[in-house]
Amino acid sequence: MIQAQSLTKHYGSKTAVDSVDFTVQPGKVTGFLGPNGAGKSTTMRMIVGLDRPSLGSVIVNGKPYHEHKAPLREVGVLLDAKAVHTGRSAYNHLRAMAATHNIPTSRVREVINLTGLESVARKRVGGFSLGMGQRLGIAAALLGDPATLILDEPVNGLDPEGVQWVRKLTKQLAAEGRTVLLSSHLMSEMALTADHIIVLGRGRVIADASVADIIASAAGESVRVRTPHTAALATLLAQENVTITNVEQDVLEITGLSVNEIGDRAAAAQISLHELSAVSASLEDAYMKLTQNEVEYRTGDSSSHTETEAAR
Amino acid sequence: MSTVTPTQPSTGRATFVSAGSGLSFTGLLKSESIKLWSLRSTYWTFSLVIVAALGLAVAMSFAMSTATAGFDPNTGAPMMGSSEQLFVLVSTTGLGLGQLIVAVLGVLSISGEYSSGMIKSTLTAVPNRLPALWAKVIVLFGYTFLVGLFSVIGSFLVAIPILGAKDISASLVDVAVLLPLLGNVLFLALIAVFAVGIGTIVRSSAGGIATVLGIILLLPTVVALFSIMVGWVADIMPFLFTAAGSEMITPNTMESWQAFLVVMAWVVVSLGTAALLLKRRDA
Repeated sequence: MIQAQSLTKHYGSKTAVDSVDFTVQPGKVTGFLGPNGAGKSTTMRMIVGLDRPSLGSVIVNGKPYHEHKAPLREVGVLLDAKAVHTGRSAYNHLRAMAATHNIPTSRVREVINLTGLESVARKRVGGFSLGMGQRLGIAAALLGDPATLILDEPVNGLDPEGVQWVRKLTKQLAAEGRTVLLSSHLMSEMALTADHIIVLGRGRVIADASVADIIASAAGESVRVRTPHTAALATLLAQENVTITNVEQDVLEITGLSVNEIGDRAAAAQISLHELSAVSASLEDAYMKLTQNEVEYRTGDSSSHTETEAAR
Repeated sequence: MSTVTPTQPSTGRATFVSAGSGLSFTGLLKSESIKLWSLRSTYWTFSLVIVAALGLAVAMSFAMSTATAGFDPNTGAPMMGSSEQLFVLVSTTGLGLGQLIVAVLGVLSISGEYSSGMIKSTLTAVPNRLPALWAKVIVLFGYTFLVGLFSVIGSFLVAIPILGAKDISASLVDVAVLLPLLGNVLFLALIAVFAVGIGTIVRSSAGGIATVLGIILLLPTVVALFSIMVGWVADIMPFLFTAAGSEMITPNTMESWQAFLVVMAWVVVSLGTAALLLKRRDA
């Protein structure tokens, strides 16, 4: 369980995280979504005490992180795949981390096997690919068998097999009753992995709901109808709360009515339909809609603003 | 696939923590030892300290065993100083190079964590931060002391047969030999620790090494230069880090224990500032 209250971080005159309140519940995978510079990583760093909040507080498993007697057993964290000395082998890195908490070497071997690093464990981390670095970071996060996992962009640089593995792993960890917080800017990945989503934009929480709710609230489902009688159908269906757009010459996009209703009414009025399908919005659509005004580094459009300092 | 303990989902605080293991200072010492000895640079820096010490001991012993100037032509005894002092000189000269090497090692032991990002792993494991610094300091002090001890005793033993050819001898357990040797070893280990402090303050390898070597090598020269122009500047000379370090072993302007306190003041200021910044700064 992670609880943030009015959590704020300023870097000089720049506000990276702006009075954020949220709770990450155990037993599900919570996705942390947001454009680059939205404050995801900064928030995660504050949770584990690497950055000190300018204002507000955040507690993990009931206490501020630094008050725990065995922090690695409470929270496992992957902040940066390269939070490892490049001259050290993966095995020795994990051994050094484990030693701080008197975690036995047998557990080091377990997480090495679990993350599929057996063949490279004795090699120096400097030669690791991004994907292997990510696996090592996840291995380190799992070392203490923690109740809470915080993974910043865990699928970055992983191959498709690795992506699927992370997806399974995080779901399994959540099913065991752990708290799992996962950040990503890949909406499609989040849609498959997360149960709950917190969207950050320019340091503020702009949405905090289940995946289904976010999709529904941001973009309602629409129905696509192809018929030679667009005018007749539009007149037939016209009523309050129903919007009908003529997207092509013989195609209507209708929101506010279900596929069944449209089909039944058209049949009753003897209007022939050549196509009738529900168009469900993707999380990606919902996300784009939510964050369209919150993007810090926009391509093309230069009208927004000129801040260039990267929020960490 | 996982080895984690299965529990009921959605319990407020599932108990995953297995009993009996948490953060402990002995654990931190072990962790820092693993960190130190799992880097190749540790092996070559410590080897270099030993090689420099033994190498110079051999070279100096041979030079002295063949030299005639400076030795009494009749007895063969050194005219300046005792044979004990000669042995100390031979056994510790190489450590002067060792001082520069362990200074670099001290800086790298922490700046390497900053440059690689390892510091984030270290500080998430030890969120109170300072215990991690103290553990690093103790481990580096301990191993540097051992390496220094090995160097001077090895040098002494190497010098015995070579100088013995000229009938110069000394005993290792003689206080006049042992104390200066130990003093040199202690100063060597304190330089390493001082450098850890500087490395933590500066957080960069290049900057840290430049600062430490500047204090050891450059500062005495600069102060000496100024003392020519401004008379009283000469008075601070003995209080410089390296000057105090040698006064600790061969007292000149102050007592040994006073020089030791001056050395410790340098170390305390370095580590104190490091601790303060480490605690306060964002990692």
